[in-house]
Amino acid sequence: MSAELFHAVASAGMIALAWTILLGLYLLIVVWAERRIAGLIQDRPGPNRVGPYGLFQTLADVPKMFLKEDVTPLYVDRLLHTVAPAIILIPALTTIAIVPLGAPVTIAGRTIPLVVADVNIGVLYLFALTSVSVYGLIIGAWASNNKYSLLGGLRASAQIISYELSMGIAAIAVFVSAGSLRPVAVVEWQGAHVWNCVGQVIGCVIFIVSAFAETNRVPFDLPEAESELVGGYHTEFSAFKFGMFFMSEYANMFVAAAMIVTLYFGGWTLPFVTFTGNFGALLSLGVFLAKVFAWVFVFIWVRWTLPRFRYDQLMALGWKVLLPLSVLNLLAVAWWVASGKGGA
Amino acid sequence: MSAAAVVFAFASGLAIVFALLMVLLKTPVKSVLALVVTFFGLAILSVQLAAPFIAAIQIIVYAGAILVLFLFVIMLLNLNEEAREKDARPVQKALGLVTVVALGGVLLGATLRAPEAPVTRLASGPRVPVADEIPVLGRLLFSDYLFAFEAMSVLLLVAAVGALILSKRRMD
Amino acid sequence: MNVLSGVAPMGVPPAAYLFVGTVLFAIGIAGALLKRNALSIFLSIELMMNAVNLLILTYARMRGDAAGQMIVFFVIAIAAAEAAVGLAVFVALFRARETVEVDKVNLLKW
Repeated sequence: MSAELFHAVASAGMIALAWTILLGLYLLIVVWAERRIAGLIQDRPGPNRVGPYGLFQTLADVPKMFLKEDVTPLYVDRLLHTVAPAIILIPALTTIAIVPLGAPVTIAGRTIPLVVADVNIGVLYLFALTSVSVYGLIIGAWASNNKYSLLGGLRASAQIISYELSMGIAAIAVFVSAGSLRPVAVVEWQGAHVWNCVGQVIGCVIFIVSAFAETNRVPFDLPEAESELVGGYHTEFSAFKFGMFFMSEYANMFVAAAMIVTLYFGGWTLPFVTFTGNFGALLSLGVFLAKVFAWVFVFIWVRWTLPRFRYDQLMALGWKVLLPLSVLNLLAVAWWVASGKGGA
Repeated sequence: MSAAAVVFAFASGLAIVFALLMVLLKTPVKSVLALVVTFFGLAILSVQLAAPFIAAIQIIVYAGAILVLFLFVIMLLNLNEEAREKDARPVQKALGLVTVVALGGVLLGATLRAPEAPVTRLASGPRVPVADEIPVLGRLLFSDYLFAFEAMSVLLLVAAVGALILSKRRMD
Repeated sequence: MNVLSGVAPMGVPPAAYLFVGTVLFAIGIAGALLKRNALSIFLSIELMMNAVNLLILTYARMRGDAAGQMIVFFVIAIAAAEAAVGLAVFVALFRARETVEVDKVNLLKW
């Protein structure tokens, strides 16, 4: 089989794998898990009617979402109202392309890394798509022609673009030490040296906090705060369009957890373990998924434990605390690498 | 048609159609969105020109920051449609179109018929396309273009402070 | 119009990229001349700048020179600074004159 054909088939297979994990495995579980864990934390049962322990709750929720009546008010901007959920969903589903899912697999004599797209620019692709998903929020808010939505949308987009900065600069420190922008290279560096959560603690904390803010999760979920803004930017969206917002939030959560694991917690590597051969690649995929699900659990746990920030506290934290800290972190790591003590 | 030609046709078609839409649409919000799609088309073309870093920077900075700023200002000032019912001004529009077509024709002729460049290239300059051009660009940025890089950071600081001062509400 | 000898050939002839860049530039000029809203004019100027970026990238690829990409990088950064200041000016203008249409800002006319 020629190299190009093999490459095309391998890419198609990788996309299928990535989306099976994201949509098939993760989305079905996380909706149920969130409500069940919320129940556990709040000392109540959670969904327990549909199947044992309420396991089939998602299978009940999804058809409900499709079949509900799509109420579109008269005063909204039709085109933008329809396009906004798509603008926010597409980046959420495609950012998984750069996440390395496991150790390289060898098929028919050729080795393929378990990534959908191992591009040179690596994580810049993630930042680019995050910047685009802001538009979904703004357009959804603007199209709704509604004070609550507009306020929620403006707050959400201001929050996202503020925390993008500290997230990016904290990530740059990781790239400086690994010597490349590609997540595959970062994971291999962590496998060869030490996990970045140990080597760059402050950067890790900054990245995690920024990831919470980027995905609009508590304690940063003021834009969609049910108790304050009705629904925030997704007030006027119902049924399937709301489902798309909902799905994009969970997909973003998965990608945020995946990036935390990839950049700071070793990706698919384990200390003192090397994964060889195709079975090793499968095991590494399992390791990666275990870590990502652990972090998703942390996301859910924090949501139901902490109260939310006030908006000015949120912006002050992003600009006055996290941004200077992340710059200092970058300086420290750059000095460390330049003086020859660390680095690739 | 090779795959590269198909991608080029798609991206350039996208860019040109949405640029035209940007000029023709009356609502500023929709113009900005059309321009975002144009920038996407241009980013795809940049990737084809062996400049993926520039493509990413274009989306992050241009489509993701500058145009968001545009949208914020449009929403802040609550600008709606252009007042088109008052004066249509057909004469000015016609003259403008003639000027644009003439100027565009001259530019097209100049760019497409320019003589071949003399066969020289920077003797020791870094070359594209190359397998991984990010380290190449990084080294360029910190060697040949170091002064421009530092000056640009000062420029961005000055621009941020200037924008703050200019748009500050007078607390008289 | 062709790639310099010694540089890897391009899948699509460079003249096509130059054509697209020039057409986008012309569309930008049309927007700058025909629109009355100051923000729309500014958007057209941004389009012109991006068209020029495309042209510079094409020439850089034809010459096989990475300095072209550096130039485009700086142009994008300068455009960001310019957009920030320009929009602040428009906001100040709106506060003073309640409009951003360029026809209405004519106090200094004879």
